[in-house]
Amino acid sequence: MTKISRRTFNLLAGTSALAMTLPHIAKAEEPVVGGSVTMAVADEPPSLVSLTTTSASTVILSPKITEGLLTFDFDLTPKPELATEWEVSEDGLTYTFKLREGVKFHDGTPLTSADVAFSLMNLKKVHPRGQSTFQSLEKVDTPDDLTAVLTLSQPAPYLLTAFSAAEAPIVPRHAYEGFEDNPVASPNGNAPIGTGPFRFVEWARGSYILMERNPDYWDAPKPYVDELITQFVGDASVRSIGLESGEIDLAGWSPVPLTDMERIKADPNLQVETRGNEYQNNGFYRIEFNLENEYFKDVRVRQAFAHMIQPQQILDIVFMGYGDLARGPVTPSLKKIYDPETPVLEHDPDRAAALLDEAGYPADADGKRFDVTIDARPGVASQIAQYMRNVLAPLGVAVTVRNEDQSAYVRRVYTDRDFAFNAQGSSQLFDPTVGTQRFYWSQNFRPGVPYSNAAAYQNPEVDALLEAAAVENDPAKRKEQLDAFQHVIANDVPAIGLIATHQITIANVNLVNFCTGALGISGNFADLYLKDG
Amino acid sequence: MTDMTTTTAMAPAGSRALRLFLRNPNAVAGMLILATVLFAAIFADLLAPGDPLTMVAQPFLWPGQNPAYPLGTDMMGRDVLAGIIHGSRVSLAVGLAATATSLLIGTLVGAITGYYGGWIDRVGMNLVEIVQTPPNFLLLVVIVAIWQPNLPTVAIGIGAVSWPTLARLVRGEFRAIRGKEFVTAAHSLGFSDARIIFREVLPNALPPVVVTSSVLVATAILMESALSFLGLSDPNRVSWGSMIGEGREMLRTAWYLAAVPGLCIFSTVLAFNLIGDGLNDAMNPRLAGRE
Repeated sequence: MTKISRRTFNLLAGTSALAMTLPHIAKAEEPVVGGSVTMAVADEPPSLVSLTTTSASTVILSPKITEGLLTFDFDLTPKPELATEWEVSEDGLTYTFKLREGVKFHDGTPLTSADVAFSLMNLKKVHPRGQSTFQSLEKVDTPDDLTAVLTLSQPAPYLLTAFSAAEAPIVPRHAYEGFEDNPVASPNGNAPIGTGPFRFVEWARGSYILMERNPDYWDAPKPYVDELITQFVGDASVRSIGLESGEIDLAGWSPVPLTDMERIKADPNLQVETRGNEYQNNGFYRIEFNLENEYFKDVRVRQAFAHMIQPQQILDIVFMGYGDLARGPVTPSLKKIYDPETPVLEHDPDRAAALLDEAGYPADADGKRFDVTIDARPGVASQIAQYMRNVLAPLGVAVTVRNEDQSAYVRRVYTDRDFAFNAQGSSQLFDPTVGTQRFYWSQNFRPGVPYSNAAAYQNPEVDALLEAAAVENDPAKRKEQLDAFQHVIANDVPAIGLIATHQITIANVNLVNFCTGALGISGNFADLYLKDG
Repeated sequence: MTDMTTTTAMAPAGSRALRLFLRNPNAVAGMLILATVLFAAIFADLLAPGDPLTMVAQPFLWPGQNPAYPLGTDMMGRDVLAGIIHGSRVSLAVGLAATATSLLIGTLVGAITGYYGGWIDRVGMNLVEIVQTPPNFLLLVVIVAIWQPNLPTVAIGIGAVSWPTLARLVRGEFRAIRGKEFVTAAHSLGFSDARIIFREVLPNALPPVVVTSSVLVATAILMESALSFLGLSDPNRVSWGSMIGEGREMLRTAWYLAAVPGLCIFSTVLAFNLIGDGLNDAMNPRLAGRE
C-alpha cells in the first residue's frame, strides 16, 4: 500500500462512475486499498494463460493478468472490458470491436488491434475448445490500432459470449515472437504479461504463485489489493481447515467436502457464494451409454435404466442438496436455453422391468437379467456409479463399478471405446452449441477426442436441429430448435441427465467483491478488496 | 540318514517351540484377535448377509443411533458393520496372498543365490537391489495403476514389491547352512541340488522365514489399506482401507467412519506382529535357555 494509491483512491472514491461499478454487497462502503489475499486452487496450472489450455486452475488465474474483450453479468449480458463498444452486423457475419484507449501491457507496450487479431486467430489454432468455438472465424482485420473487425463464414449466435478473459484471453503479440508456430512453448505461459489488474511476480513450482497490484491499471484506482497469493492445495479437507483457520481467504469450485458445509456456513468468519458458475463452471453429471454396446443399442434398455433412477436421491446423498435436477441434455443454469417442459422418465420399476422383458432380457429364476460394467473416475462420479449399482440390482442387472484415473478413463472411453456406460461430469459452458452439441452431434463421434460424442449417438433429426441452432441468428427460432433438441434427447436417452451442480465459492468475511459476475472467481479481481485492508 | 536325523531333531524342537509360544501371553492375545478376524471373514455372509455396498438406511447414522446398524452408516447410507465384516475378508485375503507371492519369489531367489553363490549370487542380488531401489509403495502404485485395481493385482503387486527382504534373509541362512557337515554329507551321498536345497537346507532355514512372514502379512494388510485409501482398490469390494479413504473427508463431522476401520487395521496388524514376536521367541534357539 502506498500513499499515492490512497490519495488517488480518495480523489476518485466519490465519483459516481466508481459507485456504479460496485455490486450490491458494497453499496454502502468505500473500497479499502492494500492488503494481501490468499486464494487456494486444487491443482498447479499447466500454464498461466488460458490461450492454450482449459485447465481449471489456469482458467481461474489467467484473467487476473490477461484480460478479454468483454466480461459478463450473472445473466450472461456482455459488459465492456478491453472493448468499449462492439457491434454485430445484421447477418451475424461481421463483429466490430472498438478497443479501450490508453491500455498498456505490463511491459509498457500499448494494446493494439494487432494483439487482438493475433490472440483470436491463435485461439482458433491452439485452444482446446477454440477450434470449434471459433471455427467460423475467417479473419480479423485491423483498420486502425483500436478497431478489430472479425469476419465469419457463417453466423455463430453464441460467439459474443466467448469473448471473456477466461475463454478468449488477449495476449501481447510481441511476447510470442519466435513461437508463432507453437504458442504453447512461449515463455509467456509461465511468466505472462497482460493488461490485467495484477502483474505476475513469481511462480514457486509446487507451492504458490504470487501476483502484485498493477499500479498502471487502466481502470484506476483499481485494483485495491496489493498482493494476490495462490496456493496449490490438493486436499479438500486441508482447504476446509485453511479457510476456517484464516490461512486461506478464498477458494472456489466447491473447494471443501460438502459434509463440511454446515460448519462452514455457521462460521461467522466465512461467507458462502453459489453464484458465479453461469459462464463455464456449470458442472453437469450424466449417465452416458455406449450405443455400440450390445445392451445399450436398444433404446428400451436405456429407458429402463432411466426409470430406475431417482435423481433427488443423488442430489441429497452425493451432492448434499447443492445442485438442481437436470433431466435433459441442457443444464437449468442456462436460463435462456433450458426448457422446463423437457419430458422426464419418472421412477417406475415396473415399467423398467417390462421394458427389459420386451427388449429380450427376461429375468431368470434368480431374478437375474445381465451383468454390465459402469466406468467412473474416483470421487463424485464413482459415488453416482455406486448409486447406479444399488438401484439396478433390484431390476436384476448386476453392475460392476470400474474406477480408473483420468488418463486411463479417457483412453478407455474415448480412444479404445471399451466401455458399456459411464457416470461422468462435464461442463456445459455458456452455450449448448459450445458445451452440449459435442456430446450428441454425429459429426463429433471422433474416437480419441476426450469429451466428444462417446455415446456414438447418430440421429439425423438431432444433427439437423443442432446444426441449425449453431447458425441461427434469430433468438426465438433458435430457442425453438434447442427446445426440440432437448425433447428428442429426453426420450431417446443416449445419456441420462442427472444433476447440475452448484459450485460453491467460500471466502473470508473480510473479502468484498470476489464474485462480481458470471465468471465468478475467474473474474479479474479488479474490484476485490479487504474490508480492513 | 541325514533325513532322519534332521526330522527327529526337529520334532521335539517343534513341540517345545509350540509350548513356548502358547505360554507367551502376547502371542496368545495376537492369536485371539486373529481368530476373531478369521471368524468374521469366514462367516461374513452369515453375519452380514447381502452386498455390503447396498444403501440400506439414511446416510450418516451415528453408531448406536439405530440399533439395526450398531456401527452406524456411511455417507451413502451403507452399513458400517457390514463393511467391517466383509472388509476383513479383503484384508486377510490380500495379506495372505501377497505374503504367499513374496514367499514364493523370495525363497526361490534367496535359496538359489545363497546355495550356488558366484555369478548366480551376483546376478540375483543385483536383481534384488534393483527392486529395492525405488520406494516399495511407489512401485506398488505404479504396478496397480498399470493393471486394473482389483484383488488379485493388488495381492500380486504387494508380493512383487516385498519379496527382496525375504530373498536376502533366505540367502543369508543358506550361505550359513550350506557349509554345514550334513550338507557336505548329502553331497557325498550324491543327492541332487534340488533335493539338497528343498529337503535338507530349506527346512533348517525356515524359522526366521516364518517369523518374517507373519510381519509381512501385517505389512501387506497396511499396504492394501494405503492403496485403498488412495482410491486404488476394487470399488466393488469393501476394504478397511477404502472405508478410511472414503471417511477421511468426513473426519471432522463423522469421525467414526475412519476410526472404526482404522481400529480394525490396527488390531489385525498388531495381532500379526504379536504372533511374529511370539514365534521369534519360541523358535530362536539362542533364546531357548531363557524360558
